[in-house]
Amino acid sequence: MNTLVRLEIVRTLRNRKFMFFSVLYPGMLFLLITAGTDKSKKLDGANLTYVAYYMVAMAALGAMTAVLMGNAERIAREREKGWVRQLRLTALPGRGYVTAKIASAATVSLPSIVIVLVLGAAVKGVRLDAWQWAAILLCTWAGSMVFAALGVAIGYVATADVARPISMLCYFAMAALGGLWAPFTAYPDWLQTLAGYTPGRAYAALGQAVEFGDAPHGKDVGVLVCYLALFAGTAAWLYRKDTRKA
Amino acid sequence: MPVVGFTGVSKSYGEVRALADLSLELHPGETVALLGPNGAGKSTALDLLLGLKNADRGAVRVFGRTPEQAIAEGRVGAMLQSGGLMEEVTVRELVGLACDLHPRAYPVDQVLAAAGITDIGARMVDKLSGGQEQRVRFALATAGANDLIVLDEPTVGMDVSARQAFWATMRGQVEEGRTVLFATHYLEEADAIADRVLVLHQGRLIADGTAAEIKARAGARRITFDLEGTVDEAALRALPHVVGLEVTGPTVRIRSDDADATTYAVYGLGLYPRNLEVAGLGLEQAFLAITDAATAAGASAAGAADDEAGKR
Repeated sequence: MNTLVRLEIVRTLRNRKFMFFSVLYPGMLFLLITAGTDKSKKLDGANLTYVAYYMVAMAALGAMTAVLMGNAERIAREREKGWVRQLRLTALPGRGYVTAKIASAATVSLPSIVIVLVLGAAVKGVRLDAWQWAAILLCTWAGSMVFAALGVAIGYVATADVARPISMLCYFAMAALGGLWAPFTAYPDWLQTLAGYTPGRAYAALGQAVEFGDAPHGKDVGVLVCYLALFAGTAAWLYRKDTRKA
Repeated sequence: MPVVGFTGVSKSYGEVRALADLSLELHPGETVALLGPNGAGKSTALDLLLGLKNADRGAVRVFGRTPEQAIAEGRVGAMLQSGGLMEEVTVRELVGLACDLHPRAYPVDQVLAAAGITDIGARMVDKLSGGQEQRVRFALATAGANDLIVLDEPTVGMDVSARQAFWATMRGQVEEGRTVLFATHYLEEADAIADRVLVLHQGRLIADGTAAEIKARAGARRITFDLEGTVDEAALRALPHVVGLEVTGPTVRIRSDDADATTYAVYGLGLYPRNLEVAGLGLEQAFLAITDAATAAGASAAGAADDEAGKR
């Protein structure tokens, strides 16, 4: 199983085009979205700049995009080519396949997050404590695995043609509800409550709690762990149950 | 304990019935060919055997367990017709993965050598020719000490010499006491390699025996001759041991399960056959004869059922 994890990481690194766009996309998005924003402008009623808010939001959004889209589409294609059929004839358990796919996705998301944070500090003048940088990086990276697992599950229910639109749909819904596109504090109360139980919101809230100087909230971590178990479990089950002619 | 046991297995895709009440057993050390025209249910039978699909009815057992359990224990190796390969890795890395995942794996170098792909170990999987891909699939199927090897049309896309080399490798596996089941379109392969032949037709097992038995069943020999004047088909058909008759112009072709007796009877009719030839029937003709007969029987059964329905 370790060989599979290693191979999945190696082949992701070898796919230069995929790596290039997935790694650079969040950084470019961050620069674009904060292009006209005053570096010192603060959020309403909070001691945090818009730029810092967007830095954390874009790091999360970018990591989510890379792992969700990347996994869903690549897996759907692998299924269509019959590789997954071949793999099912080995003693590999379902969790091994899902673990390997999450690991390879994490290889992509880590550098993409680092780039956004480096741009934030170097270009946009975001200033945070050392522990906050480290905690934001770690939370954003660890949290991205939830979406990698969702990507595996989508890759399993969808054909290669529809994997992208389906993951796009999930992605926009989760990003919007999570307040990754616009500051979450502007949302009405009922929507904030509802969104609190979606993976996108819990994910964004991890890094934001750190930004505001707190530890990540237990509830958000709990929500994410539940979604990870749900997505990864579904993905592993679908891997073993995939009885269609792939 | 049989290596493979199908008991009353049926499988349909919507309206299409792929397998109907299939029962069979494979025994240790057998080399079995699975024959059948396209759509006969060969691939479905193999998919069920490998746990890639589930039967609608009936039970599939491999070494007395479910296919999934047998595979998890590393007792089954399989080479699929449409098995894709992992891309962006080298041949050696991919075969190494198969060895790593196999509970009773052989060393990677040994597997590469046995499949004849040591020299392309460093090549990327995406850059292989069709024949090389087949060899890599074969390496994946033989990465460990499997007791059963399942091959779905293994030599498709190989040229004649590659095919011969492939079967030479395969014989090595058989000599080690493995059970081998392969589906094929090339009947000469079944004839030369298998010690048992299963013929599937429209999801049913219509023949099960050695290649020689199948040939005998189809009418083992073909008698060909020319006659002058009008040919009395009814008289010829009534000759002893005739199982098939075909007349084109002056040429008569008879399939007989006792060519000596039939030929003697031809003279007995007072006929003077010219250009007489008696030849053994290849498995290919035998196969066609059996499946044609099954199709005709199926059609007449269906016709009878329609008549019944019409009367009501």
